[in-house]
Amino acid sequence: MKSDNVLTLEKTSLEDVVAIAEKGTHCGMCKIDFLGTGLCPSGKKHGFLAYWPQGRMEIVKALASGRVKPTEKLIDIANSCSLCGICDKQCNFATQLRPEKVARALKEYVNSLDKSEFQNVEEDKVLVELQKIVGDEWATNDPIIITSYVRSIIPPDVELNFYIVMPENAEQVSKIIKFANKNNIPFLPRSGGTALSVATPTVLSNATSLENGIVIDLLRLKKLEIHPESCTAKVGAGITAFELQKAAYKHKLRANVAEAGAHICANIATTGVITTWGNKYGCFADNFIDLELVDNDGIIKNHRDMEISNPYTTEHGFTNISLSPSYIITESTVKLYPVFDDEEAVLVPFENLEDALDMVMKLGKRGVGLSLAVLSYKYLAEFICPTPQIAKDFEDICKNYLKLRYVVDVICNKDDKKIVEEMAEYTIDQSMMKSLILGSPKLASLKDSEFMKILSEEEDPLKAIFAGPMRKHFEKGLDASPEQLAKVYDKDLQDFFKKVYSKPEMTNVVWLHAFRILPSRLMRQRMAMGPGGAVWAGDKDHILKWVDMFAEVGNKYNLEHALGFISPLDNGKFIYIEYDYFYNHNDPEAASRISKTLLETTEKSLAMGGIFTLINYLFKGIYRKEHVLYPLLKGLTKEEQIVFREVLQSVLGEYEQW
Amino acid sequence: MVKFLSEEWIEYGKKYMLEKLDPEKDLKNLTTSLLGVIEHVPPNDTTMNFYLELKDGKLNDFKVNTGDTFEGKEAIFVIRGNYGTYKDILEGKISTAMALLKNRLKLKGSKMEALKIIKPLDGLIESLRKITDEFEE
Repeated sequence: MKSDNVLTLEKTSLEDVVAIAEKGTHCGMCKIDFLGTGLCPSGKKHGFLAYWPQGRMEIVKALASGRVKPTEKLIDIANSCSLCGICDKQCNFATQLRPEKVARALKEYVNSLDKSEFQNVEEDKVLVELQKIVGDEWATNDPIIITSYVRSIIPPDVELNFYIVMPENAEQVSKIIKFANKNNIPFLPRSGGTALSVATPTVLSNATSLENGIVIDLLRLKKLEIHPESCTAKVGAGITAFELQKAAYKHKLRANVAEAGAHICANIATTGVITTWGNKYGCFADNFIDLELVDNDGIIKNHRDMEISNPYTTEHGFTNISLSPSYIITESTVKLYPVFDDEEAVLVPFENLEDALDMVMKLGKRGVGLSLAVLSYKYLAEFICPTPQIAKDFEDICKNYLKLRYVVDVICNKDDKKIVEEMAEYTIDQSMMKSLILGSPKLASLKDSEFMKILSEEEDPLKAIFAGPMRKHFEKGLDASPEQLAKVYDKDLQDFFKKVYSKPEMTNVVWLHAFRILPSRLMRQRMAMGPGGAVWAGDKDHILKWVDMFAEVGNKYNLEHALGFISPLDNGKFIYIEYDYFYNHNDPEAASRISKTLLETTEKSLAMGGIFTLINYLFKGIYRKEHVLYPLLKGLTKEEQIVFREVLQSVLGEYEQW
Repeated sequence: MVKFLSEEWIEYGKKYMLEKLDPEKDLKNLTTSLLGVIEHVPPNDTTMNFYLELKDGKLNDFKVNTGDTFEGKEAIFVIRGNYGTYKDILEGKISTAMALLKNRLKLKGSKMEALKIIKPLDGLIESLRKITDEFEE
């Protein structure tokens, strides 16, 4: 069959599979076993992104557009997929996509090619040297494999002038860096790639990606040891948040971790671990005991080394911006915390942010709760609803009928729960949350119903359903069961999801907070960008003004937007805010609006003063919070604002091009 | 057009900067000095440097040397990076500010003060870009 080297398909619609591939947001959930299905066998064996469902989607897009031509390696990549269906289950839970269709299409395409159509990949001197360091199997310059890294470390429009190398220890990382420096080749480490993929559709693409050179994929650094006696864990750079948490939980211990697919070491290196557990467990350098690092000269260092200069301090001022890590963290020793038998979730609903903020700050200062945050109704809806449409209807109900705009979300022990309940007129408990999770499709279907209209006429609709006489009827009416919930999935997946939702942890709010498998739903089939930062907790007006600013800029650029979360840190001394913007990452015009939004909100935040913005947070995670956050910046002077603009233009180009 | 770090590069650079850059408009009447240290210079993996001095926006000194210091010259800013990074800057693949923020260039001196002069510095680099077309491989 003649194919002209561009992906064309007969059995499966090309448009269908490219559409699936384009909706992928590189959330990385296909690389963790969060549903108990096991991992993609091909990805687990071969490591390179090309062998994972996420990578195959990038390859299909590139083949379809003619950007890359088939190589011999493509046969191996396509045939390594056994069509076991694990990816469909995992991806469907998070994003409702069916990546197996993409893998099947790739197989059909490869089988349709003539041998003469494969492009030869020439071995070069650089590759040979890299292979000497990591072994032949773990270094490549194959354009098909390189393509799979596009959008999660390689910008979409550059020549594929790269090497992908997968070291297995710090010594190999060190040798790669020394070799790269000596030969004047740029390099950048890659872990989960999630932070990079969020930035890629925006003006930050070139700032955070590698323009050419060596991608150091750290996935093979898989060391994971739990030390219950010291409540610590040794974690290699290839270990994800989910993997660490799973191992820690076996010892009734918990780590403070980011989203399930994020890699622990990379997360420490970039922003530090920003979570709703931060008030109790800490932030920045609070989260680790020791780090093994490789610096940009290829020197291996440890924080425990006696002769190194203070590794916990960093420069101050808005110019402390850093767009790539000063070190590659190859291993971290992180702190673990006890899991208590009496832990529970308790949520307090609010109609306005000011009241929710008052409560969370009071709780934060008193040290109440293990995890403590204000969540917006949008966050809540995205997290607990199985599909985007159900989430949208759920949001409408919260907003228009229930007057539920925010919840103070607390994971705590029994004693703390009493304190929360004494402060709140009524709460949403674990049992009600389980009903809301399993009954979310039914609740969403009640949008525009008579029941909702009657409920909305109550003086306090939330009290009526969460604490009043209607609670029993409401819970019963939700018809909350794994069977009902599973019906929203594709027919062939319903049995599987019935079993998934029958597992206790899938409706256990404490477990869901600890393992963080739900935030990936924020990015289902679109991109979410969540700027924000840290601010002193003492000035409520300043905080509310800051949140209003995010909303105003979102409205100005016509973006879907909402508060993500507000969480106290350092015993309520300051708080972290994430504000989310959502957009179609395949639409350049939408990406341009996001770029302007991101930079405008950063500039306005810096001008307001007393704010440590997300851009300043980048690559500060290894430092002590006392050095990073004390003192917080005053508002920029006019002269400083000019400098800030000039630097932005020098780095990112003219404003009009964003 | 000349080779990066050659004697001709210095001569052409001086001439171009003096003729084409306006002290007030392009260089903001800047008084500063910069030592650029270039590591891993091919083919022998050597270290070289160039020293550039501006007084009131006028080029006062521009020299190239081997090693990582310039005897008798104390620069306000020292930027250090490998040959490939300087090449990428001079070829316009990456801006100086981007190289600094991505840790591809290491700065000794106040980052705030360095970023304040980023615009005139971009002008200087732009002029060097126009005269540089040859690099060691």
